[in-house]
Amino acid sequence: MTVNDIVKSLPLTVVAGGDGLGAEVTGGYVSDLLSNVMGHAAAGNIWVTMQGHQNIVAVASLAGLAAVIVAGGAVPERETVAKAESEGIVLLTTALPSFAVVGLLYQSGVKGQ
Amino acid sequence: MMRRYVADLHVHTVLSPCAAVEMTPRNIVWHAARHGIDIVAITDHNAGDNVPAALAAAKDTEVIILPGMEVETREEVHVLALFDKPRQLFAWEKVVAAHRPGRKNDAAKFGAQFVVDAEDNLVAEKEELLLASLTLSLAETCEQVADLGGLVIASHIDRPAYSVLSQLGFIPPGLELTAVEVSRRFSCAAAAERFPAIGNLPVVTASDAHTIDDFLSGPKMAFYIAEPTLAEIRQALYNVNSRGVVW
Repeated sequence: MTVNDIVKSLPLTVVAGGDGLGAEVTGGYVSDLLSNVMGHAAAGNIWVTMQGHQNIVAVASLAGLAAVIVAGGAVPERETVAKAESEGIVLLTTALPSFAVVGLLYQSGVKGQ
Repeated sequence: MMRRYVADLHVHTVLSPCAAVEMTPRNIVWHAARHGIDIVAITDHNAGDNVPAALAAAKDTEVIILPGMEVETREEVHVLALFDKPRQLFAWEKVVAAHRPGRKNDAAKFGAQFVVDAEDNLVAEKEELLLASLTLSLAETCEQVADLGGLVIASHIDRPAYSVLSQLGFIPPGLELTAVEVSRRFSCAAAAERFPAIGNLPVVTASDAHTIDDFLSGPKMAFYIAEPTLAEIRQALYNVNSRGVVW
C-alpha cells in the first residue's frame, strides 16, 4: 500500500511533499512526543500526530517515515510546511481526531509497526 | 562588589494548582531569608499574580525576587520566563492572557489557584485554568520574552513530559534560549553527556518547588556576580567577565 492509496481513501489533504506519495507504507505510529517517535517509529511508517512544529519534519526524515498526518484540525506551522517541501516529506492534514484517523488506517490495512 | 549569590530560579506559589497551600509568597521569602537563598524566581504556571506579594514580602529582607513565569507553549513545552522588573512580567502576562485557552479551572480536580497578598491573606481565586497550553508557539514565546528584556530557560529537560526534548525530540535551531534546566534527578555536569541535544547551552538546576520541603531540599545555583540581575546571571552562565557559576 502506498501513501497515495491512503490519501485517496481517507479524508486527508496533502500540504507538502506531494512527490513522495508513491512511497510504500509499512505500518503506522501515533504519538505527540517527538522523543518517543524518534525511538519507536519504524522506517516506512505513517505517523499520526497533533504537533505542527517544524521538528516533526526532521523526526520524519531521520526515521525514514513514509508520511506524517497532522490530525485533529491542528495547523502545521509555515516553517513546517516549507521544510517538508524542501526535504521531500509527505505532510498531510485532517480535521479528524487522531483516534479516528488511526481507526481508519487500521481498517484500510495499515497495522502498528 | 562581586560576591556569591545562591539562586533558586524555579519556585511555584499557591497560584499554581499543583503547589501546596504553604507556598505563600511570605512563607517562601521567610524560608529563603532564613536559609541563605539570596535570589528566588517566582514561576507559576502561565500567570504572575503572586509576584507583587512576593516583592512586597521581600521588601525589608535581603531576598531578591525575580518576577517570572513557567510558560506552557502550544507544543506543551514548559519554559521559564524570567524578568528583572515587575513591569516586564506584567507586559508579558498581557500577552499570555490573550493566548490562554480560556477554560475554567476545576479546583477539585486540578487543585486551587490562590492569589494572595504579602501577609498570606486570600485576595482571589484565579478562575482561568492555568495548567494548559497557550496558543503561543515555543519560538514566539522565546522571541517575545527576549524582546521584553527577559530570558528563557527550558524547564526540566530530563523529564519525560512537558520538556522541550520530550515534546520536540531536540532543541529547534535558532531559538532565543539562554539555558536549559535539569530537575533534581540530574546533576548539571551529567546533563551534557546524557543529553547531547543541548549542545553548548548552559545547564542550570533549580528546586521546581511545590512545597517548602522541596524548596529547602531542592537543588540551587550559586552565581559569582556583581549584582542580582539577569544580565549578571547570563554572564555567569556563559562564564564571561569574571562572572561564573560556583558550587
